[in-house]
Amino acid sequence: MATPIHAPRINNNDDEVKVLAFEVEKGSHVRSGQIVGQIETDKAVLDIESPVDGYVLSLVAQPDDLVKVGSVIAWLGEQADEPVPDDSEMAPVATSRDLGSITAKARLLLKKHGLSADAVATINGRITVEAVERHLAADTSRLAASNRDAPGADTRETPPEIPGVMLSPSREERGMAATVAWHRDHPATGYIEIEYDLAPWAKYAKKMQDDKGWMMSPLLSLMTWRLVEVATTSPRLNSTMINDQRYQYAPVNLGFTIQAGETLFLAVLRDAASLDEEAFVSALGDLQRRAAGHKLRETETSGATVSFSSMERWKVSRHIPILPPQTSFIVAHAAGRDGKGVLGATYDHRVLNGAQVVAALKLLSRPASD
Amino acid sequence: MTLSRESIEAAIKAKIVEIAAQTGDDASELEPDEIIPATGLIDSTGLLDLLAWYEKTYEISLAQDELTIDNLGSLTRMAEFLLRRKGLL
Repeated sequence: MATPIHAPRINNNDDEVKVLAFEVEKGSHVRSGQIVGQIETDKAVLDIESPVDGYVLSLVAQPDDLVKVGSVIAWLGEQADEPVPDDSEMAPVATSRDLGSITAKARLLLKKHGLSADAVATINGRITVEAVERHLAADTSRLAASNRDAPGADTRETPPEIPGVMLSPSREERGMAATVAWHRDHPATGYIEIEYDLAPWAKYAKKMQDDKGWMMSPLLSLMTWRLVEVATTSPRLNSTMINDQRYQYAPVNLGFTIQAGETLFLAVLRDAASLDEEAFVSALGDLQRRAAGHKLRETETSGATVSFSSMERWKVSRHIPILPPQTSFIVAHAAGRDGKGVLGATYDHRVLNGAQVVAALKLLSRPASD
Repeated sequence: MTLSRESIEAAIKAKIVEIAAQTGDDASELEPDEIIPATGLIDSTGLLDLLAWYEKTYEISLAQDELTIDNLGSLTRMAEFLLRRKGLL
């Protein structure tokens, strides 16, 4: 198993350090405690020691790179030919430019806008705030992109003056926050709903429940299965937009919102189209029950490609769900009244247009056999 | 935990009353032999909550094809199913 060498913190105020040099190269054998290189800040130079015996698999950073404290600068392995873990998130963050040529305030501004110092023209050989601001002013599109790609970077809230306590979010709350942030920043969302006749679905579900003697109505599971069928025959629903290109998923991974106590899950049934109707109803029921018992596996809480959300239980007549990350279609099922129900969908207008959404909703509004 | 038909039925009923209250329904009058889904006191999501609680509380695992009215449709049937599962009936 590969062992990382991390960039250490030298000074409390420095979140980045400069790689000065490596004394080893890829493939070299090193011993625990052996000096493999040096790093520096404005105030100090420090030797980097190998934490283990092994072979140098990769030198992630290069001399003169500025790297984040804690990021991986090299990988060691027990064997010389071990695979190198993906360290893309730990790559050098700034520049090969001499650290001393960038003022502290300019470094903060570069970091704020996600800029490399290499892109900025110097003033009298130095990168100052003025130099960075000139660059930003000359490249407004980059500035806009920087702001867009760093949501919240300029909008961190200060705590209210009213007395209170700050509580750490749970894993599920963090997941929901990430979902909402994706919904805010990426898709161009729309919402459409249609009215439909409740009777055909109710009759179809009742027959199956009676035939099988099931305790629970399979109505929602059957409607969700219909979504899987429709997403299979209309793969645009089972797509997302990645960097201006449509990414069409191969499997249909069905996301289904489940309220378990205070927690809202999007439980995911992967490769749902590989099942038949009855097996799907059974698998979704099992998934729902485990979600209610907070026993979902990691793979069952992410990776949805198309989703279904019902708030019928709460007797709401309309709800507009948030799109799960990297999906373009989530069905909104609400309570019916006077024999009529409402089916809606939140969709990504980059992937789907209104006519396609209406067509899909009409297909969902009746059982396939009806 | 001492398991008797009466104690199991009482515990399940208390849970049903709690779940029904979430949607504004009162299940305090539920009779032991009433078919729970037919009462309309708790919906499918509430039944899921009930069954998840049933599995966890009594440390049993239910297969999907066991979730039938015959096995679990009433307080009495849920208590009997559990006692059978535990080899106490």
